[in-house]
Amino acid sequence: MASPVSIRGVSRQFGATTALQETSLEVAAGEFIALVGPSGCGKTTLLRIVADLVAPSTGEVRIGSDSAAEARRKRLLGLVSQRPAVLPWKRAIDDVRFTQKIAGRVGFDAGAVLRQFGLEGHEGKRARQLSGGMLQRVNIASAMAHDPSVLLMDEPFSALDEMKREEIGVWFDGELAQRPKTVLFVTHHIDEAVMLADKLLVFSPAPGRVVEIVPVPVPRPRPPAFRQDPRFVAIAGHVRGLLMHKSDAA
Amino acid sequence: MTSPVVSWSVRILAPVVSVLGLWYLAIFFSGLPAFVIPRPERVLEVLWVDHALILEHLWATLEVAAVGFLWANIVGIGLAILFDLLPFTRHLLMPAAITLRNVPYIALISVLMLAFGDSILSKTAIVALSGFFPVLVNTLQGLRSADEVQLDRMRILNASWWQTFSQVRLPYALPAIVAAQEITGSSSIIVAIAAEWMISSTGLGYLINNAMQNYRGDRVYAVALLATALSFLIYSFVSWLGRRLDWRADTRR
Repeated sequence: MASPVSIRGVSRQFGATTALQETSLEVAAGEFIALVGPSGCGKTTLLRIVADLVAPSTGEVRIGSDSAAEARRKRLLGLVSQRPAVLPWKRAIDDVRFTQKIAGRVGFDAGAVLRQFGLEGHEGKRARQLSGGMLQRVNIASAMAHDPSVLLMDEPFSALDEMKREEIGVWFDGELAQRPKTVLFVTHHIDEAVMLADKLLVFSPAPGRVVEIVPVPVPRPRPPAFRQDPRFVAIAGHVRGLLMHKSDAA
Repeated sequence: MTSPVVSWSVRILAPVVSVLGLWYLAIFFSGLPAFVIPRPERVLEVLWVDHALILEHLWATLEVAAVGFLWANIVGIGLAILFDLLPFTRHLLMPAAITLRNVPYIALISVLMLAFGDSILSKTAIVALSGFFPVLVNTLQGLRSADEVQLDRMRILNASWWQTFSQVRLPYALPAIVAAQEITGSSSIIVAIAAEWMISSTGLGYLINNAMQNYRGDRVYAVALLATALSFLIYSFVSWLGRRLDWRADTRR
């Protein structure tokens, strides 16, 4: 299940500082949008506005026919944080079931999800007994366990080393092919964004503003070899240019 | 290499040897009479000979300490939850709690004595009043120590206040709440004895007072030894319990 997301003239002030300038975006159901830009450019603020964790100063967000608040109340949203939100005293499988219990909805069989996420044999382990990569997979499994229509991800792979990061990116792309979701994905990692996303929302430094929406017109999921594809190199280079240019100007 | 048996014997024997050593040195060098500083073996003898009397008063003290301790926790944890749920109550009640905390206990005991006389109520009230503050402060701090990402997770799932409280914030607060018991638990015994010493006709505090009046220094020492051991036992038990309940430890159960 996936819902379209409509961001209409959304901005956010924190006191005198503008965290996010007016931004509009139409996201189709099942589309994967990467929000890239330097630190403090408002990409996390935009994500948190869609999550109904921060109220916008202007504008509104619609998720399908619902407002962000309604979507949250209907438990249509899934949030993957940068630091895993796995409860340290729970076993992996119980943490996944915990989401389902709180949401009042069992999206998937918890054991089956963990097996699919490559965690067979680790279901009974607690957070500190899992490696960084495994823990982040449990984190994603728990965030998706109630089958949300929109997945909001805030630099989910940034705690992992480069190899693990690429590996988990490829894996996650494959998972999404199985159960399509609309995804908003915050990252400062350009290659990761180009690998995974249908479109990149490129932000300028503070005050945050979207400078360009860069499409990646290649069907997903994409094989690891896509990194050597001339189209990948060209798009990544273009985005890098946008960000370099902007940070020079700042 | 030391075997566990040897290292445990050292850990138990070393404090006993050092306390006894200091005790005998004090007797030898101070030249004070035996009713002021009796020999350790005399104190143990009194503990044995008077055990029926001491045990009877020990139960009275334990009752006061236990009931007071329970109330200290009900009030301390209860206030912390209230402050968390309705932040304005914190501004309303915290100054009173801090004031109460800083009034000398002797004054509080006197007032409670005037109000309730020599009753279990006045004695448990003073134990509760002296013990609730560490519980309150630690619980408040513990409730705030929940990881922000966990709280976001609960919000995104539209969890109720109770679900967030019982499933995330309370477990995060548990180590801090247990740590407060190390203070409140052992001080409950000490404060109960002090209250009995001032106002009561039962309990170890009364027994000390009575022994003093009869120049029975040996009995004072016997009671003090027992109370110290008791306080220490409670402290040890609570810190053991704390390690068991602490989710930060690697618990494979």
